[in-house]
Amino acid sequence: MKKLPLFLLLSILLVFSSNAQEVSFEEYDLSNGLHVILHKDNTAPIVVTSIAYHVGAKDEDPERTGFAHFFEHLLFEGTKNIGRGEWDKIVSSKGGRNNATTNDDRTYYYEVFPSNALETGLWLESERLLHPVIEQVGVDTQNEVVKEEKRLRVDNRPYGNLLAEIKKNLFVEHPYRWSTIGSMEHLDAATLEEFIAFNNKFYIPNNAALIIAGDIDIPSTKKMIQDYFGPIPKGAKIEHSFPKEKPITQEFKATAYDTNIQIPAIVACYRTPSFTTRDARVLDMISTYLSNGNSSKLYKKLVDDKKMALAVQAVNLSQEDYGIYAILALPLGETSLDALVMEFDEEIQKLQTELISEKDHKKLLNQFENQFVNSNATLEGVAGSLANYYLLYGDTSLINTEIDLYRSITREEIRDVAKKHLGSNQRLLLEYLPKTENQ
Amino acid sequence: MKKSILSLFLLITCALTAQLDRSKEPKVGPIPEINLGVPQTFKLDNGLQVIVVENHKLPRVSYTLAIDNPPYVEGEIAGVSQLTGSLLGKGSTNIDKDTYNEEVDYMGASITFSSSGASASGLSKYADRILELLADAALNPNFTTEELEKERNILLDAIKSGEKSVATAARRVESALAYGVNHPYGEFVTQESVKRVSLEDVASNYRNYFVPKNAYLAIIGDVDFDKTKEKVIELFQLWRKASPPVITLAQPKNVQYTQINFVDMPNAVQSEIAVQNVVDLKMGDDDYFPSLLANNILGGGMRSYLNASLREDKGYTYGARSSIGADKYASRFRAGASVRNAVTDSAVTVFLDQLKRIRNEKVDPEEIEISKAEYVGEFVMALERPETIARYALNILTEDLPEDFYTTYLEKINAVTAEQIQEAAQKFIALNNFRIVVTGKGSEVAENLENIPFNGKNIPVKYFDKYTNATEKPDYSAKIPEGITANDVINKYLDALGGKEKLEGVQSYALMAEAEMQGTKLNLELKKTAKNQFMQDVKVMGNSMSRRVLDGDMGYMVMQGQRKDLREEELKKAKEESAPFPELNYLNNNVVLEGIETIEGKKAYKLKISDEKSIFYDMESGLKLQEVNTTEMQGQKMQQTLIYDDYKEVSGIKFPFKLTQSMGPQSMEFFVQEIKVNEGVSDADFE
Repeated sequence: MKKLPLFLLLSILLVFSSNAQEVSFEEYDLSNGLHVILHKDNTAPIVVTSIAYHVGAKDEDPERTGFAHFFEHLLFEGTKNIGRGEWDKIVSSKGGRNNATTNDDRTYYYEVFPSNALETGLWLESERLLHPVIEQVGVDTQNEVVKEEKRLRVDNRPYGNLLAEIKKNLFVEHPYRWSTIGSMEHLDAATLEEFIAFNNKFYIPNNAALIIAGDIDIPSTKKMIQDYFGPIPKGAKIEHSFPKEKPITQEFKATAYDTNIQIPAIVACYRTPSFTTRDARVLDMISTYLSNGNSSKLYKKLVDDKKMALAVQAVNLSQEDYGIYAILALPLGETSLDALVMEFDEEIQKLQTELISEKDHKKLLNQFENQFVNSNATLEGVAGSLANYYLLYGDTSLINTEIDLYRSITREEIRDVAKKHLGSNQRLLLEYLPKTENQ
Repeated sequence: MKKSILSLFLLITCALTAQLDRSKEPKVGPIPEINLGVPQTFKLDNGLQVIVVENHKLPRVSYTLAIDNPPYVEGEIAGVSQLTGSLLGKGSTNIDKDTYNEEVDYMGASITFSSSGASASGLSKYADRILELLADAALNPNFTTEELEKERNILLDAIKSGEKSVATAARRVESALAYGVNHPYGEFVTQESVKRVSLEDVASNYRNYFVPKNAYLAIIGDVDFDKTKEKVIELFQLWRKASPPVITLAQPKNVQYTQINFVDMPNAVQSEIAVQNVVDLKMGDDDYFPSLLANNILGGGMRSYLNASLREDKGYTYGARSSIGADKYASRFRAGASVRNAVTDSAVTVFLDQLKRIRNEKVDPEEIEISKAEYVGEFVMALERPETIARYALNILTEDLPEDFYTTYLEKINAVTAEQIQEAAQKFIALNNFRIVVTGKGSEVAENLENIPFNGKNIPVKYFDKYTNATEKPDYSAKIPEGITANDVINKYLDALGGKEKLEGVQSYALMAEAEMQGTKLNLELKKTAKNQFMQDVKVMGNSMSRRVLDGDMGYMVMQGQRKDLREEELKKAKEESAPFPELNYLNNNVVLEGIETIEGKKAYKLKISDEKSIFYDMESGLKLQEVNTTEMQGQKMQQTLIYDDYKEVSGIKFPFKLTQSMGPQSMEFFVQEIKVNEGVSDADFE
């Protein structure tokens, strides 16, 4: 008699503790269309205020590439009520820090503060949305900064143009074909009016999500949000629709050159579906299986055992509309690029015909579990994920449930997805070579 | 009905919004109180105290085992505790090392050890297994001679590579002078002491000090207290009850009067300055919080007094910082910076001025506010990391702090007044009892250090070697013998090698050398001709890691696979170096005989070849002893030293058969295996 209730109690406890690991959140729209996501977590007196705008490099005019990223710089120049150069001082005098990032799909701005400065964060972000000051002096300053950034991160960096080359070749119609940092000529040619027009089109409440995560009181936070963001006028609706790519049915080759390198690289690139699809998640697992860690298949074989490659990497660069699955290797010694491709093929064929071992499957699950847990370890991480899941995946709750998708992926599915998307007739082989004088 | 109420509500909020004054920065609310998890605790019979902070936010767990023994002197076998720590976690008497590591990896977990504890983290579903592995390795260590020798070699390598490091010497001397070499905080590890450590010493260090009396186990994360308690008891009750040996520590004392303690490092390009005194400050003391702010304003961040004056205003250094330690046993105040040789004495003066300023003047209220905000922000942000929470819970127990120490931390920071800051500065910054430890190049900086006025007279200077033995003031006055010129030095060198004529007959030579770095062999191949050709290739296991080639007017370098063509000025330099014997070109070529210095115990002429290069030639034998190249990286001067040793004759010409190259704390010894003169080199080598 006594044993039964105890057993019951234990099972209830178990259920409870797995629920308790969830990231709780609440979401709603303001009347101007601004989507608000609140995540209350009073563990530490920290608050993250962030806004993700659904504007990235893919939204750019093909003749004005680099605009989205340029805005990430420009919108720190000041607002009607915040003078030039004051933004950072305001943030640090409250003990906070701030930054921003841009990719092809979205632009993300955030501050982290002790929670007593929540209102400061709301004020800053609402100022940026309501009336940023966009004037020539700021454009000129940031133009130099962005050029410096491009020199540092792309032009002077070995293999810095690799991604741009992959995108250029893998996409023909879709705007993923240009690089996020864009063209400096385009930026030089752009007029102040064009920048203002870009701001008016994309930096509107109905194209954004405001995320407040951390040590907050929900009712008063909602009121403050209404106060600061409610009066911001709604903008014209934006259609996010882009041309579709035709499927790749025959392997094709491309060659690119880089003056910063001595060792060539071979990249096998596949165009894969959007990160919202189940297949994209299976491809994530496949890339981990092939090249994540010293015991992964391709690494162990090419780098450790056969000593054919200096480095090998498989990545699934998933984005909103498409993904890029790329397997990359740098040859060691006399190894030819073709020999490396043959080795890739051998492993992929194994994946397409055999099941991975149960132990490897379990290890993969552990690795994803770890990754998932740690992605939610900081409020900054949670806020960023909430923004992405809402804005780009269209389902905020994925922050809790996406791991279940990965958990449910079977060994059979891994085999089938490898077969479906990683056929040798579906890829680009990019030879990325050192540039010598006569080229 | 509902709708109209809703719109009414909207109207009201809109009306409210209109009153919002956007033109002003919002006032920040009151400082948040910190919601640290309330730890649950229990104690085992053997003394182990366990702190459990249940935090179910994420399915992960972290364990920190900390043994808070009083510090002890290791003496003759200094380094034994470090080696004991390195030998822990190499499996256990139950599981071999490889199996242990594999299992940890499979779980995606991490487990690390030191001589005074361990820490581990991973997914909570493996919480029990991680703790089992931690406990097994901690309680049943498998100390083997093989692992000891491996770890000893790693430690010896680290010590050896730090021999020439000015910063390493400076830190060692600073602690040793502050606390005394017979205090645990002042003693240091030497090659000799490390060599004396036996496997039995390690085992006995473990037996004596890896005991539960002062041990704490902090468990944070997604665990259930009752189950965890059961598991901890099951695993750790086997830990034999024992206390560490009882030790009485001498209380370190400050010097009677402010003095400079100078340590000569002839290879220094920068002087390491540390103005320091010991303090008696514990975290629970009333003046702890004022001392934090005093320090933050003096030398805590970018805006601090020290940084604003030494970096921003004077440009003497890349950064200056200070700290006021708080510790149960002993601690010190230290303000320090690395400064250019030429400004060493001026920098000491600026330090003293700023230290006087923080003691004598009340800090500007706005500075205090910003400093508090920075401090608050930093403190609050750190709370998010679970290791911070673990540390706080432990500190409360080990530092004898009140329970609310951390929950009221921010209030206490904000309550500090300008008066309290000044009082703390006066109490902990002992202006009249400073040891100003300067580690630098005596021949360039010592003279001026003798002439720094302070309180009406010059600060006395005492001299020490880099192992803190008091020495006489080194004699830097060696004079260049009457009539000797740079050409004389070069000619003497050329004669010592075999004579100018012979050297001019060398059209090319090829050199092969080998070095070892942490067990990996490096091969150096060097080829030079008299026709501006030069090739240097460093290979690791047959693969080229770095290659420099010059062929007439063309040249390139390849570093880790990335090729870069040499720029014009780089080409010019490479050409100068490419001659088989560059000294042949130095004759009558604006080379300056700068003076005489002691290099590796030998008196040597110093020739300044260019702003970036100096070469030292033995006064007695005439041979080249050392070459020093200075480069600037990110505002810091970096020095690369090449030591020539073990000269042997090949084809009638003397060549050095041992080359030691060092940069910063790194150094590498190349042993020459073969030198070929006028053979084994063709134009194809320089393509």
